[in-house]
Formats: sequence, C-alpha cells, structure tokens
Amino acid sequence: MKKTETGTRKIKSVSYAKWGYIFITPFFLTYFVFTLIPQFLTIYNSFFETYRDGLTQIGPNFVGLENYATLFAPDPSGTVLIFKYALNTLVMWFAGALPQFVIAMLLALFFTSYRLNIKGQSFFKTVIYMPNLIMAAAFSMLFFTLFSRVGPIQGLLESWGVLDHSFDFFAFRITVRGMVALMNFLMWFGNTTIVLMAGIMGIDQALFESATIDGANSVQVFFQVTMPLLMPIFVYCLITAMIGGIQMFDVPQVLTKGDGIPNGTTRTLVMYLNGYLRTKNYGMAGAISVIIFIITGVLGAIVYRMLSAQYKDSGRKHRERRGNVL
Amino acid sequence: MKKAIAILLAMLMIFSMAACTSKPADSGTPEPAEENQEQEQGKVFNIYAWNEEFKGFFEKYYNVPDGVTVNWIINPSDNGVYQQKLDEALLNQENAAADEKIDMFLAEADYIGKYVDSDYTMDISQIGFQNAPTMYDYTIKAASDQNGVCKGVSFQCCPAAVIYRKSIAKDVLGTDVPDEVQAALDSWEKFDAVAAEAKAKGYYMTASFAETFRAFSNNCTSPWVDANNNLQFDDQINAWIEQTEKYVENGYTLATAGVWDQEKTDQMFKTGKTMCFFGPAWYYNFCMTNAMDPENGCVGDWCIIQGPQAYFWGGTWLLAATGSDNTEMLKDIFETFTVNEDVCTKLVENENQYPNNTAVVEKFANDPNYGNTAILDGQNDIAAFSKLAGNIKWENHTNYDQILNEGLQNKLQEYFKGSVTKEEAMQNFYQLIRETYPAIKLP
Repeated sequence: MKKTETGTRKIKSVSYAKWGYIFITPFFLTYFVFTLIPQFLTIYNSFFETYRDGLTQIGPNFVGLENYATLFAPDPSGTVLIFKYALNTLVMWFAGALPQFVIAMLLALFFTSYRLNIKGQSFFKTVIYMPNLIMAAAFSMLFFTLFSRVGPIQGLLESWGVLDHSFDFFAFRITVRGMVALMNFLMWFGNTTIVLMAGIMGIDQALFESATIDGANSVQVFFQVTMPLLMPIFVYCLITAMIGGIQMFDVPQVLTKGDGIPNGTTRTLVMYLNGYLRTKNYGMAGAISVIIFIITGVLGAIVYRMLSAQYKDSGRKHRERRGNVL
Repeated sequence: MKKAIAILLAMLMIFSMAACTSKPADSGTPEPAEENQEQEQGKVFNIYAWNEEFKGFFEKYYNVPDGVTVNWIINPSDNGVYQQKLDEALLNQENAAADEKIDMFLAEADYIGKYVDSDYTMDISQIGFQNAPTMYDYTIKAASDQNGVCKGVSFQCCPAAVIYRKSIAKDVLGTDVPDEVQAALDSWEKFDAVAAEAKAKGYYMTASFAETFRAFSNNCTSPWVDANNNLQFDDQINAWIEQTEKYVENGYTLATAGVWDQEKTDQMFKTGKTMCFFGPAWYYNFCMTNAMDPENGCVGDWCIIQGPQAYFWGGTWLLAATGSDNTEMLKDIFETFTVNEDVCTKLVENENQYPNNTAVVEKFANDPNYGNTAILDGQNDIAAFSKLAGNIKWENHTNYDQILNEGLQNKLQEYFKGSVTKEEAMQNFYQLIRETYPAIKLP
C-alpha cells in the first residue's frame, strides 16, 4: 500500500532524495575507512599478544582475554592500576568541568541578557575563546615553564615570602592535578560559553518577557524557563565535554613529561594506553581502548537518560503552564 | 525509526571519538645488504638524529657532493621518542622509495646494540670503509654486532671527568690545582667527606640528584638483565642510590633538578654555588653554555680531573642503514669524521670535542701551547682526557639501557623529592618495565 503510494509519487515528481545520500556519502566512506575499521581492529587486536621487543616483532599470538586479565590484576601493592588511572581522569576532568560549566553558563546568561545588553560582545567572545586556539601541548608547556622550579611564579612567590625555596609545585598531587584542571577549564570555558549562548538565543524572547511580567525573578526565569529549554544543548555540551575528559591526554602528558607525577596520580587512561604504545603493544593498548570505549558509552548513556528524562518532564510542565497562560 | 537513527548516530559519534586509531603492526625483515659496488648513487641523503649536535659539525666540515640533498629528520630522544620514530622508519625501509630510505642514522651508547645486532644496519667494510688504527677500540666494539661485524663509526670518544669550579675548590679545599684537588677527591669516601665540607661553607657538591649516576652505572660489572632476562641491580647502581639518598638528606645536592634541567645548569653561572659537575668533552657545549655566557658565565674558572671513579658517558655513533643508495657518500662521511686529521683537529680547536683519532689526540696532548680557554683555565684537557680514554671498556650493555637508566632516575627522583616512599618508587619503576618490556622478568 505504502509502496505504491511512494511509487506513484516518484512518477509524478522528481525525487531529490538521492542527492542527499550522495552528499553524505563522502563522510560515511571516510568514517568507515578511517574510523570504523580501525575501531574493529582495535577490538580485534586486544585479544592478541602483539608487541615489539627492540626491532623484533613478537606475535600476534591469540591469547583470548589475557590482556584484560592483566589490566584488572592488582599490582604487588594491591592497586588495580586501571581503576587508579580512571579515577585520576575523572577527578581531573570534574575539577575542570565544574567551573567550566558554571562560568560558561553565567557568561552565556550575561551576554544574552536583554537587560544587561553588554557592549563589545564580539571582543569578549573572541578573548574567552582564545585559549582554545592554542595547541594543548603548547599551553601545557607554558604552564610547565611558569610553575617550574626556576619559573617566574616560584620566583615571585618566593620574593613575596609566600613560599620557601624548597617548595616544588610538581611534588604534590593537589597542585599538579590543579594545574591540569585549570588548563582544561581555561581552554574550554569559552567554547562552552559560545555553544550555550547559541542555545539561549534560540529560545523565544517572548517567553522571558512574559515570565518577567508574571513576576518571576531572574533566578526563577533561569530555572523555570531557560534551563528546561536549554537542556538539549546543555546535555550535548556535557556529553562532548565528558568524552573529551575521558580521553584527556596531552595536557598532563606534557606537564609531567609522561610520568604522571607525583606517584602516577595525574596519569590518565590514555597516558596509560600511550605507555604501551612505546613498544607498539597493540594487545594491551587495544584492551585499554575497549575499556575506555565501554566507560564512555555507559557514562554517556547515564547522562543522556538522566538529563533528557528531566527535560521531557519539565518541558511538558512548561508547555502546560504556557497553555494556561495563553 | 527516528529515534533508532538518532541512537545509531550517537553511537557512531561516541565510537568515532573513543576510537583510537591504530594500525596493525607491520613486521618483516629487510633483505640483506645488496652487492652495491656498481650501484648508482642516490640524490637524497636521509639522516635520522635526536638533536642538532652532529648536524652542526656536518654542515661545517663536510662538503656535500654536488646534486645531493641532505635531509635531516630530528626527533627528541626523551621518553624513547627518537627510537620509536627510527624503528618505524627502519621497519618500513624495504618498502620505501629510494629517496625516502634512511641512509645514515645516529645512535647513542645506551641503545646502539639494538641496531648493530639487527639486519637494519650494514657492514661498513662492504662500502669500502676500513676501521683505522687511530680509532679507539671501544668505539669499534660498540658499533659491532655479536660476530664482530662493524656497522658504523663514532666521531668522538667520551672519557668523562669531574669538571670543578676552581674558585669554590679553593674556598673548600684551600687549593685549586688539579693534582691536589684530585688527591682530595680520588675515592667516593673522600668525595663524600669533601661534600660535607662544601655544605658547611654553603656550597653544593653536585647540582643534580643524578649527576653522579653515569660514574656509577658505566662501571657496572653486570648488565641490567641476566641471560634469563631477569632484572638485576648491580652493586654500582645500589651504591648510586645509597649515595644520592645521603646527598639529598644532607643537602649536598639538588633533589629537584634532573641532569638536563635548567635548575641545574643555572648553577653554572658565576653566581652558582656548585663545586663539581660530571661529564665528558661533549658536556661543555651541551650542558655548560651558561658557564660560557659572556656576562654571567665564569669561563676560566674550571678544571677537569679524573675524580673518584673513571668512567665514560654517552657518545654518538653514525650507523650505515641497510638499503642506503648513497654508499660512497656514507664512506666519505665516515672518513671525514674519523680519519681526516684536518677535520678532527678542527673538532678539537673550534668545537671543544674529544675526537676519535689517537694521532690528533696525541698531537694536542703533547703540544705545550695547547690549552682549553673556551671554558677551562687553559688546562690541556685533551691530555687529561687521553689518560682516561684508555680505561674505557665496552661491556655489560643491553638494548634496554636507555629506558631503564632514565626510568630509574625519573621514578627515584620522586622518592628523593619526598613525594613517594622508596618502595612506591621501585614499584613505579617496575610498572614502567612491565609496560615497556614485557619480556623482562621482575624480582
């Protein structure tokens, strides 16, 4: 029934649908060749012992789940390293993401507020976006130099008498993690601001006005109007930030010269993976990749579920309320 | 349906972001060196190196034949990056186009064995180069595989010394004459005692926790791994750890400064408070530029002595890569930097190097008018180094040395700084080995 219907329509009018498919083909082709196949190869390799000992290639020998067993085996001190590194990653991501989202949300609200009507917006937008244009490795190198034992910050704090000469920023977990979080925050809050602003500007201004006329204060407007309608964009920002966070690599790698000092507390999952790539150990590195993939998928699903359920809820309420008003 | 597509797209997105691109390992060994007497010479000469040191000498003292382009591919050696890039290129050597093939690459004492024991380097007698009797034996042994086939040459010989600040020695010991300073520092016990005296006068004995590492590690009587691939700690390594613990605890050295760190090299300025540095001739140019600074440096305030224990450190070898189509040029380069006395003389005079040519060394050692004024007080450093050069033995090396030597220093530094316990530091070192060399059996 349906078939004949479309069939008759095809005869009547020209279908442009095929052009859509043709235009998206290059993406899917490159995606397939450069992403999907390597992804499957990664999973495949994770079941093999394959690495290089000097210039000699060992394997690939099929070992089943042995690589995974090695990953989850506790070391002599009883720590399961992959858990430790996963926790490091999450702690550093969260410490950077929390201020990132709070500040970005505030800035986005200020910039879009018709009451404040801030002048020179494009200037500020450019400036806050600027840190994102610097290569992460270069930014990290900059921090390394700034905070090094002979760097300007140490010198300044010593001359003010705040620190004594024996202090070393790189000897403490909290300072090194703090630097990583600060850099991630600085690099990404501008980007988040701009995306959130676009989201807020997409909301009908009449809604803000009518809420104000109804007597809602700014806080109420934010929680009852802005946030529910912004939720899809907010969730998108959060999920992409989280995926980026789980793959955190270049900033701590360069800052700690790959060692994750002190005592591996700033070593992230991808730094761990990279350690195995030194000897082209695709077996172990592949196993870590699969774990990262699973973590990403699970966390993504949880966040999506949690926030989108809330959004649907408040969105419905909102629509009902709006209906009442009208 | 829409929802399904959305989920599918989301999945693909996550997939693509989480995916770590990786290629399957490309294994395979290159063909043995071809008979290349009649081979046509290539137009592009590719050199892999980890810094600009040799490039500088090459550009000054080697006349590249007309029509040949020299291509330098330089990757830093930190964290083994240089070796990774080099290995990748060597494994691909067979399939690379003639102009893309590596012709020559540089290797350091810590890992030269890995390359000379492989088929990726070629017998240099096949390209017509004969090792000269003026070359130091250990440099030939280091560049030879287990059957004694030599695969490259070194343009330097690296006996290492204690380089001390005269003014500080005068203050601490009451003398700055090399023989007398040597008498005061000729064993580790005496060295430690002087360190205490220096500390009492407000000086550091050394400027890095790892400064003395090579003096110990290059005197090891056993390799890092035994015949069954068990990791072993030589007495010399343990002695270094013990000494460093003491030095850090007593404030004789800087726990926060690595051998290559600016905090250490800043100690070489006139304002520095450090008495001793450990290094061979290449150390002048490489680590002591602060001492040679026209304004803040202290040229002429330095002398060299053997110190507590004779040793050597590093050295750069030039290895011939299998598959090179520029064999004549290779031979020419090897000759220029080893047997060509003119060039070797210039390496001493202009570059403060200690050349791999005993004839040139003797000429300088016996020349009463020669003295190093570029950094030392006019002392004949070639004569001093030549006395040490005879002691160098090439033994107890493994292909794992670079990562193990550097890894041990890095992981223990956290212990010396006080951010981890010794036990934790050793576990971190073992973890590094587990990740990098699964074949090594840990204690």
